[in-house]
Amino acid sequence: MSHILLVLLASLSTASTLFLVASGITLLFGALRVVNIAHGSFVMYGAYILASAAAAYGGEGWQLWVAILAVPLIVGVLGSGMEISVMRRTYGKEHLSQLLATFAMFYIFADLALILWGGSYKSVPVPQGLGGSVVIADLAFPVYSLFVIGVTIAVAVALAALLRFTQFGWQIRAAVEDPELLAVTGVHVRRLGTIVFGLAAGLAGLAGVLIAPVQTIAPGLDASVLVAGFIVAVVGGLGSISGAAVGALVIGLGETLGALWVPALESVMIYVLMIAMLSIRPSGLLGRS
Amino acid sequence: MNAPVEAVTEPSGAAKSSTLGPILRGLVRHRTLAALVVVSIVCTAYGLNGDATALITLDNALILVLFSVATNLLLGYGGMASFGQACFFGLGAYLVALGWANLHAPFWLMLVAAPAVGALVATAVGAVALRLQQWFFSLVTLAFSQLFYTIVEKAYVITQGDNGVFGPMIPRALTEPITGFEFVLGVTAICLVLLLAVVRSPFGLTLTAIRDNRRRVQTLGINVYRHQVLAFAISGAFCSVAGALFTVPNQAAYPQLFDWNQSGLPVIASVLGGVFLFEGPVLGAFILQYGRDLLIQHTSHWQLAFGLLLLAIVLLAPDGLLGAAYRLIGRSARRFLSSGVWRRAGWR
Repeated sequence: MSHILLVLLASLSTASTLFLVASGITLLFGALRVVNIAHGSFVMYGAYILASAAAAYGGEGWQLWVAILAVPLIVGVLGSGMEISVMRRTYGKEHLSQLLATFAMFYIFADLALILWGGSYKSVPVPQGLGGSVVIADLAFPVYSLFVIGVTIAVAVALAALLRFTQFGWQIRAAVEDPELLAVTGVHVRRLGTIVFGLAAGLAGLAGVLIAPVQTIAPGLDASVLVAGFIVAVVGGLGSISGAAVGALVIGLGETLGALWVPALESVMIYVLMIAMLSIRPSGLLGRS
Repeated sequence: MNAPVEAVTEPSGAAKSSTLGPILRGLVRHRTLAALVVVSIVCTAYGLNGDATALITLDNALILVLFSVATNLLLGYGGMASFGQACFFGLGAYLVALGWANLHAPFWLMLVAAPAVGALVATAVGAVALRLQQWFFSLVTLAFSQLFYTIVEKAYVITQGDNGVFGPMIPRALTEPITGFEFVLGVTAICLVLLLAVVRSPFGLTLTAIRDNRRRVQTLGINVYRHQVLAFAISGAFCSVAGALFTVPNQAAYPQLFDWNQSGLPVIASVLGGVFLFEGPVLGAFILQYGRDLLIQHTSHWQLAFGLLLLAIVLLAPDGLLGAAYRLIGRSARRFLSSGVWRRAGWR
């Protein structure tokens, strides 16, 4: 069995990508009261686009680094496009219409991915400079895991600062409370929705980029990522970014540590945690009941 | 859903004719039952003249009909969009398959056990999933679908994992295409009548009332949670029967019967046909089954076509194709819509 510190590092790295997915879900719900079933599709598209870039340029060159930076932006634009073309027509309708519209998009994205990338497995090499591991006190920590954790912490801090301290942030919070009053004060509320949707999709795209080198990319990734991200959002408490962070830590650690203690439950650990959470406290760890 | 029935009991133009009046009025009033009888007759006529391939397609269409109507008990009548009904469909199919493979249990026993086990498992799943409402309920059901898929795939010793279970798991008589078809049609018809009785019962009406105004029903002293869990259990039982029937034309059970794709089928069928009509999912299921077969001849990307169709219907005609048709054809249907049932539905 590997050292407990290495296990912790691996679970923190899992928690990082889970946080990026869950924070997007929670941001959309918090700011727009939208639950996007196609959110996992954005993660899958991020991974697929990066895989295409890697296939075209190989893992060695600087081009992969450009792709890593560009892909979240591309996915963000894709998300904004979906908001403008589909979601805008569902605001003000019942939540079921909205849910079914995103469910239809989930189907459409899944089949488009099949057309664009086929059904075979894709993989992405670890970018140049991030391979190998650092040896600290006789333990070899993989550099890539440290990179993923570092990027996520930076993004989380930036996101928290964006929501708390900037004009954009208070506009989002105001849009939740009273969109009409906000519109009266001269804020373009519709554009705000488009930007938030793009931001959430961009976070999902970033998650896709970060998991690409450590996971096989194949059809079905969208559903599994969506479910995992959603479970994190539920466990942490819906609509709260810090809840998403706590939920990601709980799920990330719970999954790996639980699998260490009870190996038979490895693949279903995350669902066990979800069921336990919903039975004890449906509003989540940091959610308001 | 009692609104349209109430609306058409008012005197209509047809009532003036002395002999035709009561018959026409009866037909309009019981149009759901009439539609089901017509569908059964057409199916029988088509089925008895069709070859084995046509019969198997028809079997699968009928199974999808039952699966969709059972799902729509939650979706349309209860306002609960479950994306995890494949849990119970797969359960029914695996009960028959594993009963045959591991226990040598007779098919009939497993067919009777299917609704009981389905209801039991659905009660457990529903009790957890219904702790959340609206959007989040839907996502939890999706998570359960993933959970069941994972369990079945990993429990190789019992379920043979990814390979699935194939073999002569049904009685020899049912392997005869005509007999199998008659059996599937019979069971489906019985189940649909039972489901119709459920939605027309006081329980069904309460369920619809919860969909329309949850808080008001709660204020009346009705236990909303318990009603919804019960609805989930009933739906699960019938989905499980549909899954057990799946083994008749296909003689197989595999993990994909549990996945989100399978869960999505009855939702798409219901929305296509119309979630506010009992017979809506019936039409939707036929369109989905035959439309998919037609599309597969030309392209392997039928999901894209149905995704776009689903999107168009959700955005443009939320009451589905049949709902839109009734709206255009019948005055009484028009009155039903103008009474604002759709808007009032609200699912709040």
